Amino acid sequence: MHVYVYDDYLNKNKFNRIINRVEIRLTDLGLNGKILRLAGIKNIKAAIQNEIRLGAKTIVAVGNNQTVNKIIGAIIDDNIYGDFQKKTLLGIIPIGEDNSIAASFGINNPEDACNILLARRVEKIDLGLAGNHYFLNEASIQSLGTTLEIGGYSVEATARGEIKIINLLKDKNENIKSNPHDGLLDILIRTRKKDRTYLSAKSLKISNQHEKLIVDGVMEINTPVEIGILKDHVNIIVGKERRFE
Amino acid sequence: MFSKDNKLERFKDAETIIGASIKVKGNFQGQGNIIIEGALEGSLKTASDVFIGNQSKIVANIESKGAVINGEVRGNIKTKGYLIIGGTAQIFGDIQYGEISVDKGASINGQLIMLSEEHKRNEKVKEDTESSSEK
Repeated sequence: MHVYVYDDYLNKNKFNRIINRVEIRLTDLGLNGKILRLAGIKNIKAAIQNEIRLGAKTIVAVGNNQTVNKIIGAIIDDNIYGDFQKKTLLGIIPIGEDNSIAASFGINNPEDACNILLARRVEKIDLGLAGNHYFLNEASIQSLGTTLEIGGYSVEATARGEIKIINLLKDKNENIKSNPHDGLLDILIRTRKKDRTYLSAKSLKISNQHEKLIVDGVMEINTPVEIGILKDHVNIIVGKERRFE
Repeated sequence: MFSKDNKLERFKDAETIIGASIKVKGNFQGQGNIIIEGALEGSLKTASDVFIGNQSKIVANIESKGAVINGEVRGNIKTKGYLIIGGTAQIFGDIQYGEISVDKGASINGQLIMLSEEHKRNEKVKEDTESSSEK
Protein backbone atom coordinates (compact mmCIF):
# COMPACT_ATOMS: atom_id res chain seq x y z
CA MET A 1 0.00 0.00 0.00
CA HIS A 2 1.18 3.52 -0.83
CA VAL A 3 0.85 6.29 1.73
CA TYR A 4 1.19 9.82 0.37
CA VAL A 5 2.37 12.31 3.00
CA TYR A 6 1.32 15.84 1.99
CA ASP A 7 3.31 18.61 3.65
CA ASP A 8 1.30 21.37 5.30
CA TYR A 9 2.40 24.12 2.89
CA LEU A 10 0.53 22.32 0.10
CA ASN A 11 -2.73 23.63 1.63
CA LYS A 12 -2.11 26.92 -0.17
CA ASN A 13 -4.46 27.52 -3.11
CA LYS A 14 -1.61 27.96 -5.55
CA PHE A 15 -0.79 24.25 -5.26
CA ASN A 16 -4.37 23.00 -5.87
CA ARG A 17 -3.94 22.64 -9.58
CA ILE A 18 -0.71 20.67 -9.45
CA ILE A 19 -2.02 18.46 -6.63
CA ASN A 20 -5.10 17.66 -8.72
CA ARG A 21 -2.94 16.78 -11.71
CA VAL A 22 -0.74 14.50 -9.58
CA GLU A 23 -3.74 12.73 -8.04
CA ILE A 24 -5.32 12.11 -11.46
CA ARG A 25 -2.02 10.77 -12.81
CA LEU A 26 -1.55 8.47 -9.80
CA THR A 27 -5.08 7.11 -10.24
CA ASP A 28 -4.45 6.54 -13.96
CA LEU A 29 -1.30 4.58 -13.09
CA GLY A 30 -3.11 2.56 -10.44
CA LEU A 31 -0.91 4.00 -7.71
CA ASN A 32 -3.56 5.61 -5.58
CA GLY A 33 -3.31 5.11 -1.85
CA LYS A 34 -3.91 6.72 1.47
CA ILE A 35 -3.27 10.44 1.91
CA LEU A 36 -1.80 11.70 5.17
CA ARG A 37 -1.91 15.50 5.49
CA LEU A 38 0.72 16.86 7.90
CA ALA A 39 -1.29 20.05 8.49
CA GLY A 40 -2.91 19.59 11.86
CA ILE A 41 -0.85 16.56 12.89
CA LYS A 42 1.13 17.30 16.06
CA ASN A 43 3.24 14.15 16.24
CA ILE A 44 4.31 13.59 12.65
CA LYS A 45 6.78 10.82 13.54
CA ALA A 46 4.14 8.80 15.37
CA ALA A 47 1.61 9.27 12.56
CA ILE A 48 4.03 8.01 9.89
CA GLN A 49 5.26 5.12 12.05
CA ASN A 50 1.65 4.12 12.61
CA GLU A 51 1.13 3.90 8.83
CA ILE A 52 4.19 1.64 8.53
CA ARG A 53 2.82 -0.60 11.29
CA LEU A 54 -0.48 -0.77 9.45
CA GLY A 55 1.35 -2.17 6.42
CA ALA A 56 2.46 0.76 4.26
CA LYS A 57 5.11 -0.57 1.87
CA THR A 58 5.88 2.79 0.29
CA ILE A 59 5.80 6.16 1.97
CA VAL A 60 5.77 8.98 -0.57
CA ALA A 61 6.87 12.46 0.47
CA VAL A 62 4.73 14.98 -1.41
CA GLY A 63 6.47 18.31 -0.86
CA ASN A 64 10.13 19.38 -0.59
CA ASN A 65 13.41 18.61 1.21
CA GLN A 66 11.83 19.34 4.56
CA THR A 67 9.04 16.84 3.89
CA VAL A 68 11.59 14.16 3.01
CA ASN A 69 13.53 14.86 6.19
CA LYS A 70 10.41 14.64 8.34
CA ILE A 71 9.65 11.23 6.86
CA ILE A 72 13.25 9.98 7.11
CA GLY A 73 13.19 10.94 10.79
CA ALA A 74 10.11 8.76 11.23
CA ILE A 75 11.20 5.78 9.10
CA ILE A 76 14.74 5.61 10.49
CA ASP A 77 14.20 5.82 14.20
CA ASP A 78 17.07 4.16 16.04
CA ASN A 79 14.85 3.08 18.92
CA ILE A 80 12.44 1.06 16.82
CA TYR A 81 14.26 0.61 13.48
CA GLY A 82 13.18 -2.93 12.72
CA ASP A 83 12.70 -5.19 9.74
CA PHE A 84 9.43 -3.64 8.74
CA GLN A 85 11.06 -0.22 8.52
CA LYS A 86 14.10 -1.51 6.61
CA LYS A 87 11.74 -2.82 3.95
CA THR A 88 9.75 0.40 3.67
CA LEU A 89 10.46 2.29 0.45
CA LEU A 90 10.61 6.05 0.28
CA GLY A 91 9.26 7.83 -2.79
CA ILE A 92 9.26 11.56 -3.51
CA ILE A 93 6.87 13.79 -5.45
CA PRO A 94 8.56 17.21 -5.51
CA ILE A 95 6.27 20.23 -5.43
CA GLY A 96 7.39 23.83 -5.08
CA GLU A 97 10.85 25.13 -4.09
CA ASP A 98 13.77 23.44 -2.21
CA ASN A 99 13.72 20.10 -3.92
CA SER A 100 17.43 19.35 -4.25
CA ILE A 101 17.03 15.88 -2.69
CA ALA A 102 14.49 14.83 -5.33
CA ALA A 103 16.71 16.31 -8.07
CA SER A 104 19.68 14.25 -6.81
CA PHE A 105 17.54 11.15 -7.28
CA GLY A 106 16.64 12.18 -10.83
CA ILE A 107 13.10 13.23 -9.88
CA ASN A 108 12.73 16.60 -11.53
CA ASN A 109 8.98 17.35 -11.58
CA PRO A 110 5.70 15.98 -10.18
CA GLU A 111 4.65 14.24 -13.43
CA ASP A 112 7.99 12.41 -13.77
CA ALA A 113 7.75 11.50 -10.10
CA CYS A 114 4.52 9.55 -10.74
CA ASN A 115 6.14 7.56 -13.57
CA ILE A 116 9.22 6.92 -11.40
CA LEU A 117 6.98 5.55 -8.63
CA LEU A 118 5.46 3.16 -11.17
CA ALA A 119 8.87 2.02 -12.48
CA ARG A 120 9.90 1.30 -8.86
CA ARG A 121 13.67 1.46 -9.38
CA VAL A 122 15.04 1.06 -5.85
CA GLU A 123 18.46 2.10 -4.53
CA LYS A 124 19.82 1.63 -1.02
CA ILE A 125 21.32 4.93 0.02
CA ASP A 126 23.70 5.95 2.82
CA LEU A 127 22.23 8.32 5.34
CA GLY A 128 24.18 11.14 6.98
CA LEU A 129 23.70 11.69 10.69
CA ALA A 130 24.49 15.04 12.35
CA GLY A 131 23.86 14.66 16.07
CA ASN A 132 20.35 13.20 16.12
CA HIS A 133 19.37 14.58 12.73
CA TYR A 134 19.48 12.57 9.53
CA PHE A 135 20.40 14.08 6.19
CA LEU A 136 20.43 12.84 2.62
CA ASN A 137 22.17 15.65 0.72
CA GLU A 138 24.57 17.63 2.88
CA ALA A 139 25.31 19.59 6.01
CA SER A 140 26.99 22.98 5.61
CA ILE A 141 28.62 25.66 7.76
CA GLN A 142 30.64 28.86 7.38
CA SER A 143 34.32 27.93 7.05
CA LEU A 144 36.00 30.68 9.12
CA GLY A 145 36.16 29.68 12.77
CA THR A 146 35.14 26.09 12.08
CA THR A 147 37.29 23.16 13.17
CA LEU A 148 36.86 19.65 11.79
CA GLU A 149 38.31 16.81 13.84
CA ILE A 150 38.81 13.74 11.68
CA GLY A 151 40.54 10.72 13.21
CA GLY A 152 44.02 11.80 14.23
CA TYR A 153 44.03 15.26 12.71
CA SER A 154 42.14 18.54 12.63
CA VAL A 155 41.33 20.89 9.75
CA GLU A 156 40.78 24.65 10.02
CA ALA A 157 40.07 27.25 7.35
CA THR A 158 41.74 30.66 7.54
CA ALA A 159 39.35 32.38 5.12
CA ARG A 160 35.61 32.92 4.79
CA GLY A 161 33.73 30.45 2.69
CA GLU A 162 31.65 27.33 3.09
CA ILE A 163 32.26 23.81 4.34
CA LYS A 164 29.96 21.12 2.95
CA ILE A 165 29.72 17.61 4.36
CA ILE A 166 28.20 15.70 1.47
CA ASN A 167 26.41 12.37 1.42
CA LEU A 168 24.48 12.73 -1.81
CA LEU A 169 25.61 15.36 -4.31
CA LYS A 170 23.15 18.24 -4.60
CA ASP A 171 24.94 20.38 -7.16
CA LYS A 172 26.03 18.45 -10.24
CA ASN A 173 28.52 21.24 -11.08
CA GLU A 174 30.62 20.57 -7.96
CA ASN A 175 32.97 18.31 -9.94
CA ILE A 176 33.58 15.76 -7.20
CA LYS A 177 33.03 12.02 -7.21
CA SER A 178 30.43 11.67 -4.48
CA ASN A 179 28.96 8.23 -4.00
CA PRO A 180 26.02 7.66 -1.63
CA HIS A 181 26.84 3.92 -1.42
CA ASP A 182 30.47 4.10 -0.27
CA GLY A 183 29.89 4.63 3.45
CA LEU A 184 31.96 7.83 3.29
CA LEU A 185 31.18 11.51 3.71
CA ASP A 186 32.79 13.87 1.23
CA ILE A 187 34.09 17.09 2.74
CA LEU A 188 34.32 20.06 0.39
CA ILE A 189 35.66 23.44 1.49
CA ARG A 190 35.52 26.46 -0.82
CA THR A 191 36.79 29.82 0.37
CA ARG A 192 36.59 33.33 -1.01
CA LYS A 193 40.26 33.01 -1.88
CA LYS A 194 39.07 30.64 -4.63
CA ASP A 195 40.82 27.61 -3.23
CA ARG A 196 39.24 24.22 -2.90
CA THR A 197 39.76 21.47 -0.36
CA TYR A 198 38.47 17.95 -0.72
CA LEU A 199 38.64 15.11 1.80
CA SER A 200 36.58 12.08 2.72
CA ALA A 201 35.87 10.53 6.11
CA LYS A 202 33.59 8.04 7.84
CA SER A 203 32.97 10.37 10.73
CA LEU A 204 34.07 13.74 12.08
CA LYS A 205 33.37 16.27 14.77
CA ILE A 206 32.55 19.80 13.70
CA SER A 207 32.71 22.87 15.93
CA ASN A 208 32.23 26.61 15.53
CA GLN A 209 31.44 28.92 18.45
CA HIS A 210 29.44 31.39 16.39
CA GLU A 211 27.90 29.61 13.44
CA LYS A 212 25.34 26.81 13.22
CA LEU A 213 25.44 23.75 11.02
CA ILE A 214 22.67 23.72 8.41
CA VAL A 215 21.37 20.27 7.51
CA ASP A 216 19.87 19.70 4.05
CA GLY A 217 19.37 23.47 3.81
CA VAL A 218 16.47 23.48 6.27
CA MET A 219 17.52 22.66 9.81
CA GLU A 220 20.00 24.53 12.03
CA ILE A 221 22.06 22.58 14.57
CA ASN A 222 24.34 23.95 17.29
CA THR A 223 27.96 22.76 17.34
CA PRO A 224 30.06 20.93 18.43
CA VAL A 225 28.35 18.01 16.79
CA GLU A 226 29.43 14.56 15.66
CA ILE A 227 28.69 13.70 12.04
CA GLY A 228 28.61 10.13 10.81
CA ILE A 229 27.15 7.95 8.11
CA LEU A 230 24.82 4.94 8.13
CA LYS A 231 25.67 2.76 5.16
CA ASP A 232 22.85 1.68 2.81
CA HIS A 233 20.28 2.63 5.40
CA VAL A 234 17.30 3.79 3.40
CA ASN A 235 15.53 2.35 0.34
CA ILE A 236 14.60 5.06 -2.11
CA ILE A 237 12.70 4.92 -5.39
CA VAL A 238 14.90 6.79 -7.86
CA GLY A 239 14.75 7.99 -11.44
CA LYS A 240 17.01 7.05 -14.36
CA GLU A 241 18.64 10.47 -14.28
CA ARG A 242 19.95 10.17 -10.71
CA ARG A 243 23.26 11.90 -10.01
CA PHE A 244 25.19 8.85 -8.87
CA GLU A 245 26.13 5.35 -10.05
CA MET B 1 56.32 6.51 -11.46
CA PHE B 2 55.79 10.03 -12.77
CA SER B 3 58.04 12.19 -14.87
CA LYS B 4 58.78 15.85 -14.39
CA ASP B 5 56.72 16.79 -17.43
CA ASN B 6 53.48 15.21 -16.25
CA LYS B 7 53.85 15.85 -12.52
CA LEU B 8 50.48 17.60 -12.22
CA GLU B 9 48.65 15.28 -14.62
CA ARG B 10 49.11 12.46 -12.19
CA PHE B 11 47.32 14.33 -9.42
CA LYS B 12 44.09 15.00 -11.31
CA ASP B 13 42.39 12.15 -9.46
CA ALA B 14 43.83 13.05 -6.07
CA GLU B 15 42.00 11.45 -3.17
CA THR B 16 42.69 14.46 -0.96
CA ILE B 17 43.26 18.14 -1.73
CA ILE B 18 44.20 20.64 0.98
CA GLY B 19 43.63 24.18 -0.30
CA ALA B 20 45.81 27.23 0.33
CA SER B 21 43.51 28.62 3.10
CA ILE B 22 43.53 25.42 5.12
CA LYS B 23 45.60 24.40 8.14
CA VAL B 24 45.87 20.72 9.04
CA LYS B 25 47.25 19.61 12.41
CA GLY B 26 47.95 16.01 13.41
CA ASN B 27 48.77 12.74 11.76
CA PHE B 28 47.43 12.88 8.24
CA GLN B 29 47.28 9.52 6.49
CA GLY B 30 45.83 8.32 3.22
CA GLN B 31 46.01 5.64 0.57
CA GLY B 32 45.62 7.76 -2.56
CA ASN B 33 47.39 10.79 -4.00
CA ILE B 34 47.44 13.89 -1.80
CA ILE B 35 47.80 17.53 -2.91
CA ILE B 36 48.73 20.10 -0.28
CA GLU B 37 48.64 23.80 -1.08
CA GLY B 38 48.06 24.96 2.51
CA ALA B 39 49.72 24.33 5.88
CA LEU B 40 50.28 21.05 7.69
CA GLU B 41 51.75 20.37 11.12
CA GLY B 42 52.31 16.81 12.36
CA SER B 43 53.00 13.96 9.95
CA LEU B 44 51.98 13.06 6.42
CA LYS B 45 51.89 9.50 5.14
CA THR B 46 50.37 7.90 2.05
CA ALA B 47 50.82 4.73 0.02
CA SER B 48 50.70 6.87 -3.14
CA ASP B 49 52.13 10.23 -4.17
CA VAL B 50 52.24 13.65 -2.53
CA PHE B 51 52.27 17.05 -4.26
CA ILE B 52 53.36 20.01 -2.14
CA GLY B 53 52.44 23.37 -3.75
CA ASN B 54 54.75 26.38 -3.78
CA GLN B 55 52.72 28.36 -1.18
CA SER B 56 52.47 25.49 1.28
CA LYS B 57 54.22 25.30 4.64
CA ILE B 58 54.74 21.82 6.03
CA VAL B 59 56.13 21.13 9.49
CA ALA B 60 56.01 17.36 9.36
CA ASN B 61 57.80 14.21 8.34
CA ILE B 62 56.56 13.03 4.95
CA GLU B 63 56.46 9.40 3.88
CA SER B 64 55.08 8.41 0.49
CA LYS B 65 55.67 6.40 -2.64
CA GLY B 66 56.62 9.44 -4.70
CA ALA B 67 56.56 13.20 -4.14
CA VAL B 68 56.76 16.57 -5.83
CA ILE B 69 57.95 19.29 -3.46
CA ASN B 70 57.56 22.96 -4.43
CA GLY B 71 56.95 24.57 -1.02
CA GLU B 72 58.55 24.77 2.41
CA VAL B 73 59.06 21.53 4.31
CA ARG B 74 60.47 21.39 7.85
CA GLY B 75 60.86 17.69 8.51
CA ASN B 76 62.29 14.54 6.99
CA ILE B 77 61.10 13.23 3.64
CA LYS B 78 61.12 9.57 2.67
CA THR B 79 59.98 8.45 -0.77
CA LYS B 80 60.54 4.93 -2.00
CA GLY B 81 60.08 6.02 -5.59
CA TYR B 82 60.70 9.25 -7.48
CA LEU B 83 61.20 12.56 -5.67
CA ILE B 84 60.99 15.83 -7.60
CA ILE B 85 62.24 18.93 -5.87
CA GLY B 86 61.07 22.06 -7.65
CA GLY B 87 62.93 25.37 -7.92
CA THR B 88 60.77 27.03 -5.25
CA ALA B 89 61.24 24.25 -2.66
CA GLN B 90 62.83 24.94 0.72
CA ILE B 91 63.57 21.81 2.67
CA PHE B 92 64.89 21.69 6.24
CA GLY B 93 65.40 18.02 7.00
CA ASP B 94 66.90 14.79 5.73
CA ILE B 95 65.70 13.25 2.50
CA GLN B 96 65.58 9.55 1.66
CA TYR B 97 64.66 8.71 -1.91
CA GLY B 98 64.62 6.01 -4.56
CA GLU B 99 65.26 8.41 -7.46
CA ILE B 100 65.56 12.19 -7.39
CA SER B 101 65.60 15.32 -9.51
CA VAL B 102 66.35 18.79 -8.14
CA ASP B 103 65.53 22.01 -9.99
CA LYS B 104 67.73 25.09 -9.98
CA GLY B 105 66.81 27.41 -7.11
CA ALA B 106 65.78 24.69 -4.65
CA SER B 107 67.13 24.97 -1.13
CA ILE B 108 67.97 21.81 0.81
CA ASN B 109 69.30 21.89 4.37
CA GLY B 110 69.81 18.27 5.29
CA GLN B 111 71.25 14.99 4.14
CA LEU B 112 70.36 13.32 0.88
CA ILE B 113 70.28 9.56 1.28
CA MET B 114 69.54 7.26 -1.61
CA LEU B 115 67.66 4.15 -0.55
CA SER B 116 69.62 1.04 -1.51
CA GLU B 117 68.11 -1.59 -3.77
CA GLU B 118 68.15 -3.95 -0.79
CA HIS B 119 66.24 -1.43 1.32
CA LYS B 120 63.66 -0.99 -1.44
CA ARG B 121 63.28 -4.77 -1.72
CA ASN B 122 62.83 -5.06 2.06
CA GLU B 123 60.22 -2.31 2.01
CA LYS B 124 58.40 -4.09 -0.81
CA VAL B 125 58.39 -7.40 1.10
CA LYS B 126 57.13 -5.56 4.23
CA GLU B 127 54.34 -3.93 2.23
CA ASP B 128 53.32 -7.23 0.60
CA THR B 129 53.25 -8.95 3.99
CA GLU B 130 51.14 -6.15 5.47
CA SER B 131 48.69 -6.19 2.59
CA SER B 132 48.31 -10.01 2.63
CA SER B 133 47.78 -10.02 6.42
CA GLU B 134 45.10 -7.32 6.01
CA LYS B 135 43.26 -9.58 3.53
